[in-house]
Amino acid sequence: MAILGVIALALVAVAPLLIDEYSVNILVRSFLYGCIAVTVDILWGFTGILTFGQAAFFGIGAYALGLAVTTYDFSAPVVIGAFIAGPLAAAAVAAIVAWLAFAPKVSPLYISVVTLVQSVIFVQVIYSGGNFTGSSSGLSGFDTFDVPMEGWFRIAGVALVVVTALGWRFVRSDFGRLLVAIRENEQRCRYCGIGTARVKTMLLAASAVVAAMAGFAYAAYNDVIAPDLGNFEFGTELVIWVALGGRGTLLGPAIAAVLIDFISAYLSGTLPFIWQLIVGLVFIVVIVLMPQGLGPALANLFGRLIPAGRRAIAAVPELLQLPDPDVGGGADGTAIAIAGLGRRYGSLHVLEDIAFEARAGELVSLVGPNGAGKTTLIRCISDGMERSAGSVAIGGTQIGRMAPEACVRLGLGRKFQAPNVFDALTVAESLRIARARQERLSFWRRADVVRLPAASLRVVRATGLADQLGATVKHLSHGAKQALELAMVLAMEPRVLLLDEPTAGLTKAERSLIGGVLVDLVREHGLCILLVEHDLEFVREISSRIIVLHQGRILLDGSVAEVTNSELVRTVYSGEPHAEAA
Amino acid sequence: MIALDIERLTSGYGEAMVLRDLSLRVAAGEVLAVLGKNGMGKSTLLKTVMGFLPARGGRISLFETSATGRPPHLLASRGVAYSPQDQAIFQDLTVEENLRLGLPRGTAFAAGLDLVAGFFPFLAKRRRQRAGTLSGGEQKMLIIGRALLARPRLMLIDEITEGLQPSVILRLAEVLRAERQRGGTAILLVEQNVRFALSLADRYAVLARGEIVDEGPVGGGSAEARIAEHLSV
Repeated sequence: MAILGVIALALVAVAPLLIDEYSVNILVRSFLYGCIAVTVDILWGFTGILTFGQAAFFGIGAYALGLAVTTYDFSAPVVIGAFIAGPLAAAAVAAIVAWLAFAPKVSPLYISVVTLVQSVIFVQVIYSGGNFTGSSSGLSGFDTFDVPMEGWFRIAGVALVVVTALGWRFVRSDFGRLLVAIRENEQRCRYCGIGTARVKTMLLAASAVVAAMAGFAYAAYNDVIAPDLGNFEFGTELVIWVALGGRGTLLGPAIAAVLIDFISAYLSGTLPFIWQLIVGLVFIVVIVLMPQGLGPALANLFGRLIPAGRRAIAAVPELLQLPDPDVGGGADGTAIAIAGLGRRYGSLHVLEDIAFEARAGELVSLVGPNGAGKTTLIRCISDGMERSAGSVAIGGTQIGRMAPEACVRLGLGRKFQAPNVFDALTVAESLRIARARQERLSFWRRADVVRLPAASLRVVRATGLADQLGATVKHLSHGAKQALELAMVLAMEPRVLLLDEPTAGLTKAERSLIGGVLVDLVREHGLCILLVEHDLEFVREISSRIIVLHQGRILLDGSVAEVTNSELVRTVYSGEPHAEAA
Repeated sequence: MIALDIERLTSGYGEAMVLRDLSLRVAAGEVLAVLGKNGMGKSTLLKTVMGFLPARGGRISLFETSATGRPPHLLASRGVAYSPQDQAIFQDLTVEENLRLGLPRGTAFAAGLDLVAGFFPFLAKRRRQRAGTLSGGEQKMLIIGRALLARPRLMLIDEITEGLQPSVILRLAEVLRAERQRGGTAILLVEQNVRFALSLADRYAVLARGEIVDEGPVGGGSAEARIAEHLSV
């Protein structure tokens, strides 16, 4: 890849000597568009944020220079001021957009709508600016840098190579994999304690800054700016270029943006309206025949020419065990305290008047018929927005209306009922994301080790995941996904563990192994575990206490012997033959 | 009649071969339990039979006509019902709407609802509820209810007992046994719950690394011990 970058830089240096002036002129713009396409790809292709608003940020950057120079003069303080103010304004707008679109429980589609509106507002603001903004005719002929066209070509070309190279490195870093994790399963990220809204906000702001800088360069070079630089048509075009080039490939969108803009400039002269139609048709054909875009399709073609043995295989990181944390004194506090908890869906009461406490060093099993409200209770303990009444405290702190990631920071870990993992990531990457709160994810490199606490490592080794660290999670069996999620939750070193059927889909041998791990965590490390489980035999072996939930209420809360010998439990729950006779 | 005949089937994802030269047969009205550790290819087998994964090699016949390479909806219309491991219901539809989708063409819903309510009474009581708000175990019951509604000739069932309370597992075994008696439904059952599987099956097969390493009749008492041995290694 480094070689490719050097070749690209060399091309940028010599190209102005080889190609005609008109092409050089067009390519400056194409290169700047390529820079924005890269940011669109990072946002949409990698993180799943489908944005139509990058054009507006480009426009903001362009107008920052145009307005500053026409209002004041072309002097160093004004130009530097515009160079700082434009990207800052773009970042501020991005922050507002993010605040609107990344609120909890807002549909992921919302960001597309908000960014679309953002472009419309941008154009309207420019229109209504009168002489100040030049309204619909824009600004032109303002003083600008005295740089020859070849100079601009090299500036824009180097900018594109640098932005693409930085982006390339970034998306392959550990943090870059977090972006994919957010796209794949934002909920799981939040339950790993990661403030995903914050990550997405920062990313949107950073992309806005890059787009605004490109806009600044465009205004300085072109000396003509108009409202359509930031309209939603351009925003949509960027998305189309990314789709055509192959989203999630970075190089594909960068190349597609440059080529399409360049060819458009040539052909729009000779085939003014037909050209748009051709681009539209090509888009439809590519989406239908090559849904991943042209880039991956071409890469596949070349890939077949290279023998399988010679293809680079990503290095599989090494597993390391973390030293045991020192938790002598923590073994006797109240870990979970629940009072008067209720949950309604409309008129349906799923949970009513739930109250109990669980202490550190206790393994409490939650059993009950299907539909008794067990999973709902787990949800209410791990997300402050879920319950309709009552209070929940974790480790002595009331969760109030806390978001899941805040609850996780109180020491909570939650394993979901159905495996809740990152399909597109590898096993090792998933484990590293689970550790993100303890070990910062690098923006720049891939860690070559995964450090895990002993309990997590035991699960990884015993279930065979250790041999599949480089495997994509999508291809794992159902049981292996269950084991992986458990290992991820244990990797977070929680103090309070909520496990919703952690051994479903595992073999008997794997079950007893996991039972052993859980008992150790409780006895030796003083964790508090709340376990939902149907296998009464398993529950009997490992629990210190059992709570029976029936129709949304606590039916029984007692020792293992009390509960398993209760006639009531047999009738409502286990349906063992002698209970039916009774 | 042979309900399902698989000959030298090979299948997998990407470059990974999950099933290798696998052959098995299920006679009409027979229940075959496929057991094995995780990642051995049990779910892949069902997905390939149902046409969700292409067979890389080998032949699949259903009711003595070829089914290799046929898409899932055509197999369903030939009387094959598939209940996958993940919660395969339409979350935003109601219980009733989910059930209606399982109804064969030209059948009255009322009769179908009676049938399903006979199996799992709560489904009739909560037919207006959005299926996504059912608990995990209830969704499993809805999946089986919907599959049975079509009165299938062959059922492919993937770990249906996962997350079900013990009494419902017993009920489920009864329901499947009754259904088989009534209509001679053949069942290919993938299970982790050995006791449930053996309570229902006529024969068993143990899958390891994509191949059948052991098979035999369930009766006689030695099956459970042999399976336990395979699963513990």
